[in-house]
Amino acid sequence: MNRFIVVMWLLVLSTPLCAYSQDNAAEWVLSPKDTDKVEIDMRAVFKNRILRTGDKYYVSPHGDTFYVDVFRFYITNISFIGERTATLANDHLFDVADTNTYSFIVKNVPPGVYHSIRFTAGVDSIANVSGANSGDLDPIKGMYWAWNSGYIMAKLEGRSNVCKTVHNAFEFHIGGYMPPHNAARTVTLKIPEYFQVGRQSMPGISMTADVAAWFANNLDLAKTNSIMIPGKEACMMADNYSRMFFIDEVSYTPLNR
Amino acid sequence: MKKYAIAISLGMFILFISSAFDTKDDEIKFVIPKGWPKPVYDFSKNKLTSEGFRLGRKLFYDPILSRDGSTSCANCHTQWSAFTHVDHGLSHGINGLKGKRNSLTLFNLAWNKAFMWDGGVNHLEVQPLAPIANEVEMGNSLENIVKALDTAHGYRARFYLAFGDSAITGQHVLKAIAQFLVMFQSYNSKYDKYTRNEPGGEMTEQELNGLKLFRQHCNSCHAEPLFTNYSFQNTGLSVDTFLNDYGRMKVTGDPKDSLKFRVPSLRNVAMSYPYMHDGRFRSIIQVLDHYTNSVIQSPTLAKEFKTPMVLSVQDKKDIFEFLKTLSDKDFLYDMRLRDWRE
Repeated sequence: MNRFIVVMWLLVLSTPLCAYSQDNAAEWVLSPKDTDKVEIDMRAVFKNRILRTGDKYYVSPHGDTFYVDVFRFYITNISFIGERTATLANDHLFDVADTNTYSFIVKNVPPGVYHSIRFTAGVDSIANVSGANSGDLDPIKGMYWAWNSGYIMAKLEGRSNVCKTVHNAFEFHIGGYMPPHNAARTVTLKIPEYFQVGRQSMPGISMTADVAAWFANNLDLAKTNSIMIPGKEACMMADNYSRMFFIDEVSYTPLNR
Repeated sequence: MKKYAIAISLGMFILFISSAFDTKDDEIKFVIPKGWPKPVYDFSKNKLTSEGFRLGRKLFYDPILSRDGSTSCANCHTQWSAFTHVDHGLSHGINGLKGKRNSLTLFNLAWNKAFMWDGGVNHLEVQPLAPIANEVEMGNSLENIVKALDTAHGYRARFYLAFGDSAITGQHVLKAIAQFLVMFQSYNSKYDKYTRNEPGGEMTEQELNGLKLFRQHCNSCHAEPLFTNYSFQNTGLSVDTFLNDYGRMKVTGDPKDSLKFRVPSLRNVAMSYPYMHDGRFRSIIQVLDHYTNSVIQSPTLAKEFKTPMVLSVQDKKDIFEFLKTLSDKDFLYDMRLRDWRE
């Protein structure tokens, strides 16, 4: 009986959702005053604290105290899912050491209503085999392996006293595009409210990347402190950090025209 | 009146001089020789231009690419040895540091699927990153190179001419070098003229016998017309205990690739000694002696060597004579590929 009531309620609640998406299926034409841009802001955190490199220490779920020195990762192939799916060729390299990378603008988003954002955490295999790329994928960014071609999709470096290594350093350089050790991960995040593109204010999505996810499954820094080549360990770490993304809020910035 | 005559003759002289030193760069045209497969390199994503080629050439010969400004690509890749480091078993780079492998010859690169002795590099454009980053070769980074080029004399204008953008990027550095490299084309050796029935392709009886033996014993890996099948093979060499180089296994992590190295093209082979991935053999006859006498059996050994190769002393001499017909003077002395110090 209880179960029946739950199902009933689900049906009732889902009706407006279906109706909404049907009503909006008509073509929405962009007027010159509208925008087709979406701003994405990214902050790096450790749990609920803003991540600071160098002198601030953090404690992993395993209980290891550590400092972070380098934290960079790629977000590519961004798409918005809603009444239609808009896939956009966008490559972004986030670098905690460079505040210019904390926000970026996705252009040419078709106007419409969207409920989710999907992207590749990392770099897909096509970009990995297409030679010298431009922009954030330019090998100049220091996220490319010279001796065994391919992108380093994400980097986390730091120090912990439990690491019996030079300067107590741990280094995770995660990459690899060839199956079975492809480290690119698809991430889909639900946007908390209906998200509208194509009116006179530019929508923005604020996201966080939580370094704590790298240390999931009770990662023991004394044992795992160096992943520098494609393989099983790199894929394990890619699984971990593919769960580091969260959406905080959606906001709209009025355009000054 | 006399002044005019002097001015005119001076002008003519300057024109004459400049035309004499013209490097004929207008003819930057990639050739697919008749009967060859389609090149692997995608030219649609990097259109060959005279300006791009010349920029690539300048970069190839410029030691600005190395950390201490001492070493250019050409240090280990000289044209007259088919762009390898002749007489050097292992090549050396900055601070006189020695590398771990014999530098490869460079030509017909547009047909290459993978680069380096272990195939670790997957695209011609990103190939230069390996020597650039290697601590004992150039010890540098693409980021530093772009910074150095940005302030170096004359580069920004050349990048503008080549790519329509004077802001130097890593991508454009690599694409320019690739434009120069794909023009290392070798298809006019005596052997080529022989197969095309052209003048200059008249083979001696010994050379023809060498070709026959080559097709019998070597052709399955060193396949014509490129003289490689681009595979990776274990040719039964002993492991050098100082280098401990297990080849392709390091790249793939697969024990099946242990001791496998690329099958190099044998074009221009007579010009590019020493031989093998660590340059252990100084002559072609030594290589052939290895194949008949000292192949070490192991699980990953190429199937061609499972049964010993049998060649007489005369056979080896004939094969050697044939291999010499693969030297391509049009390529080795191609004026366009020279260091013009522009």
